[in-house]
Amino acid sequence: MSGLDWLVGVAVALLAAGSVAPATRRTAGVALALQALGMALLGIAGALVLFGAPAVGSGFADGLSPRLGIDGLTGFFLATIAVVAVPSLLFARGYLAGAPRERLLVSLSAAFLAALAAVVSARDPSTFLAGWELMTLVPAAAILVQRSDAAVRHAVFVYVAITHVGGAGVWICLLALAHYGALSDPGALVAQGNGVQALVIVSALIGFGTKAGLMPLHSWLPRAHPVAPSHVSALMSGVMIKVALYGLIRVLFEWAAPAPLWAGLAVLGLGLLSALGGALYALTQHDLKRLLAFSSIENVGIVALGLGASLVFASGGDATWAAIAFGAALLHVLNHAVFKALLFLAAGAFERSVGSLDLDRVGGLLRRMPWTGGAFLVGVLAIAGVPPLNGFASEWLTFQALIHAAFGPGLGIGLAAAAAAAGLAATAALAAFAFIKASGLLLLGAPRRAEVAEAQEVAGGMRIATLLLAGCCVVLGAVPGLLVPSLMRLAPQPRELPTEPSLLVPGSGSLPSPWLLLGIVALTATIWLLRGSRRAAPVPAWACGQRVEPALGWTSAGFIKPLHLVLEGVLRPRREITTVSEHGLVRSVRYRGEIPHLFDTALYGPARRAAMRGAGVARRIQSGSVRAYAGYLLALLLALLVLARTGAIG
Amino acid sequence: MSALAAAIQLLGGVALAPLLPGTIQSLKARLQGRRGPSPLQPYRELRRLWGKSLADPQPTTIVYRLAPCLLAAATGLALLLVPIGGISPDWGLGDDALVLVGLLALGRIGLALVGWDTGSGFALMGTSRDLTLAVFGEALLVLAIMLAALPAGSTGLGAMSEAANGSGIWSEPAHWCAAAAFGLVVLFETGRQPIDNPDTHLELTMIHEGPLLEYAGRDLALLQWSAAARHWIVLVLAAELFLPHWGGFGAQLVCLLAGLALLCLGLAVTETAQAKMRILRAPALLAGGCLLALVGLASWLAGGLA
Repeated sequence: MSGLDWLVGVAVALLAAGSVAPATRRTAGVALALQALGMALLGIAGALVLFGAPAVGSGFADGLSPRLGIDGLTGFFLATIAVVAVPSLLFARGYLAGAPRERLLVSLSAAFLAALAAVVSARDPSTFLAGWELMTLVPAAAILVQRSDAAVRHAVFVYVAITHVGGAGVWICLLALAHYGALSDPGALVAQGNGVQALVIVSALIGFGTKAGLMPLHSWLPRAHPVAPSHVSALMSGVMIKVALYGLIRVLFEWAAPAPLWAGLAVLGLGLLSALGGALYALTQHDLKRLLAFSSIENVGIVALGLGASLVFASGGDATWAAIAFGAALLHVLNHAVFKALLFLAAGAFERSVGSLDLDRVGGLLRRMPWTGGAFLVGVLAIAGVPPLNGFASEWLTFQALIHAAFGPGLGIGLAAAAAAAGLAATAALAAFAFIKASGLLLLGAPRRAEVAEAQEVAGGMRIATLLLAGCCVVLGAVPGLLVPSLMRLAPQPRELPTEPSLLVPGSGSLPSPWLLLGIVALTATIWLLRGSRRAAPVPAWACGQRVEPALGWTSAGFIKPLHLVLEGVLRPRREITTVSEHGLVRSVRYRGEIPHLFDTALYGPARRAAMRGAGVARRIQSGSVRAYAGYLLALLLALLVLARTGAIG
Repeated sequence: MSALAAAIQLLGGVALAPLLPGTIQSLKARLQGRRGPSPLQPYRELRRLWGKSLADPQPTTIVYRLAPCLLAAATGLALLLVPIGGISPDWGLGDDALVLVGLLALGRIGLALVGWDTGSGFALMGTSRDLTLAVFGEALLVLAIMLAALPAGSTGLGAMSEAANGSGIWSEPAHWCAAAAFGLVVLFETGRQPIDNPDTHLELTMIHEGPLLEYAGRDLALLQWSAAARHWIVLVLAAELFLPHWGGFGAQLVCLLAGLALLCLGLAVTETAQAKMRILRAPALLAGGCLLALVGLASWLAGGLA
């Protein structure tokens, strides 16, 4: 056995020990530490394979006997899981301390991590599917263990129902691939002809797309992610939906490769819809965790834009740009995992300190919780996609891919890519809008509730976890060029890029990220010194002569009102104004407004009603009367006889 | 040559930038039959503000105090990416158009948080309008950059300026569309009529001015300089990428000067002839620009006029 095998073995053993260790309340912390250590080792093993160490374990096989292995792509996803898991487990130690059913939740987190790692390192269909189902069910259990009121039960039901209906696509796709021997021999599927390949690709898009939260298959995501315990939300949003993207990447770029052009355009379209739709609905949320969940949909969309561009380039024969777009998508997978985990963990810390995270009733937390608040602000700048943080690096690379795809050849492809580039720009602006709103309402201004004014900064691991992730945002933003060449080597047709801290992409003016970081920090500091030579006079806020009163404080709905009015045709808000008047005098006016989720009202609602009607018809047939069933049998027999007689069967 | 371009980039951006809004104001006054302020008025204001003490509204956080510095720093870095006379001097920051877009967005986001920090309704009103328009403005900006990058095959600003050199490019309908689309970007990014009115003293109608209301002294000077530098960045880009220019560095410098003068005059005329739009109509204007850019792309991909 090589050193790497040992490393993986020790990591798995630690994770297993971590799952059974919390036998007593005392050892829960030890268990989390063991799990974190195990995940860190697993992540290191993955990173080693990503950066060039030989693959570990077996290759892909079509049989049903369990096999595991780590190759470059698996290594990348294991490292991503570890980057999120280690801080999340660190956070969980403080977050879960004293929570009801703490020990069970600790064990479940180990099971969840094991399932995630199993999916990405599975090398046969049975392990993959087993890990896949566990990955869906364990977080559902973790949610129900902690809270089980009716609303949460409903959210979990929707989550499990939708991901299982969609998950059928994963089963069909994997079993079809195994049937044709395409897992072990990636040329085998294409040899079967277009029909089989189309079946596999469409079922993969539905199956993995549902789990990844691609619109319009996303409806479970904004329901399930907000109700989970925060460290589980961080893993769900940061990693679980990425593992679904891992499956999609395997199918589109390996098992069913070369994917036809329509598949690339379909991924591009789904990505654009998810990016724009996710960002738009994130903006309209007024609960922080729901906002974060919608923003995950947006970011999965951005990854899909990169993947779609890569497929389009590959089908046009441009291997260099196909590899760059592939690298952009993977880089965004990692970046989003980091900053979304950061934001979810910080949200958990805020929730722990002040209770409800209704954005209109928080305010001023930056003064009360400077560490967590500061880390949250770093995450906000990263997710808003501004230099010099990591979100900008991957969005810049995705922009480059889309713009170069728009250069043609081909009118249709060029226009599609240009529309995607414009959509991505609008998405970035919408995301910035949403997170300025969220961070302003949470962190700045005056406290809007008594508990908020008394909020206490969280201590220990909870604080370190968010700061660690904020540090990752800065480092990944400064040196993306050290990672991207390794990611491009994972593309079906690998291409090289110079391994330097800056991103030196052909056909661009290059992204010298370390110098940008240095320039911004140094210049801001210089200007700060220039400005700060005189003492500032403390004054009340002027606000054009108005007094800044809490009752007049701006709300989430007020802040987005201009965009809401501009996009009224898309958002279709509902308004209700009730006026109570007595004897011609208006006594009170009540206003109620909401922005319904269009996909729920226009797509899922009718689908659910149709299903209920179908069930009603079925119930009428299933009358429970023995005579009716005897009649059905007789009718079936007669029908079969008639068919046999006419020669239609037999 | 490159050293001279670098000097103009730095000195022009830092020192000459306030001349641009000053000239526009002055020209506008003349066109409207007033005597108006001298083109040097922005310098006088900056000098006056630099000598005044700061105001620190309570309760605010570091976000309020850092925002002007961050905005000025991001704008200052963006200055170093803008090509001069077709040359991108090498500051080690590259010359990518999308990096420039990112830096402008960084400044915008830094300032956008200020409204929440002071809790001032007028600042938030301006911010929310600015961010609403940015959704459409950024899409338009990216499309315009994409069109300008078509002939060069690169988003490097130096290469883009070089590819637009000469008269051949003007036989491409795509370039006309790109120039028109970028014209709208200029209006949006500089905050001028018909999208925003930089002269307004009515808080209810403010967009870009809103978040500045609380600031005083050197903070306000930094913010006003940043607005002027943004004029410089956008107008020089417009001249370098989308207005006619020929020949070597010297000839292109003359073209740049003429282009800047022309753009200032154009903005002054637009501001005189055109009233401010209803805020909710502006996104339609910007979205129309996006469509125009897509038409330009289609004509390029279909083979242009050839």
